[in-house]
Amino acid sequence: MKQDFRMTYPLWNMAFILILAVMAVGFTSSFVNVTKTDSSLSIEAQAFEGFVLFAALIAYLVLITIYLIALGSYNRKNPQRKISAFSIRPPEYMEQDEGMTFITRKAVQKVYTFITWSLPFLAVIVMLAPVPKLLIIWGILAIAFGQNLIYYLEMRRQLKGATE
Amino acid sequence: MLRNRVKELRARYGFTQSELGKKVDVTRQTIAFIEKGEFSPSITLALKLAQALQVEVGDLFWLEEE
Repeated sequence: MKQDFRMTYPLWNMAFILILAVMAVGFTSSFVNVTKTDSSLSIEAQAFEGFVLFAALIAYLVLITIYLIALGSYNRKNPQRKISAFSIRPPEYMEQDEGMTFITRKAVQKVYTFITWSLPFLAVIVMLAPVPKLLIIWGILAIAFGQNLIYYLEMRRQLKGATE
Repeated sequence: MLRNRVKELRARYGFTQSELGKKVDVTRQTIAFIEKGEFSPSITLALKLAQALQVEVGDLFWLEEE
């Protein structure tokens, strides 16, 4: 189960979210000018912010390449339980039988409870305080990071308890 | 609370959790959850387990008042 890609999927999500958080620094900086037309997108940036943005974009591309290689490897080893890279349904649900469905549901319930409280909390903060755009993006990404962390830790705890 | 004798009977027959899981078409983890009492199986799975362990369902699972 430790080698199961579905188990480690939230960790991949968390890594992507961290890179997005760094990328947001570059995109929201006043030193970065993004011009978008119907056919093109041009980005002008100052030295540091430009470097941060460029490094984050490269890191994202590298990570997505590693992710696709790992996913392809998993799919070759598990032809009966292939994961699509472009599926709308999150692949981390482990529902191959009723026991696994039960623990997936428990983890999802924890995530739902977290989202129920954290999203309105973030909305109230943004409404009441003059929060910069970067912090709003970081807030949203922190919630996304949190939901993946909660899901991963709960599934790991449940599966760790199921030792023979 | 639902109690069971799955672990005891599995040991009597010398099955591992994986082997019993294969017999009733579930994962080893699901057998572990049932043995620990963390998960109450469906009627279908309870019947399959009883059949695999050669007992009546009532002898395998019972309710204990809390």
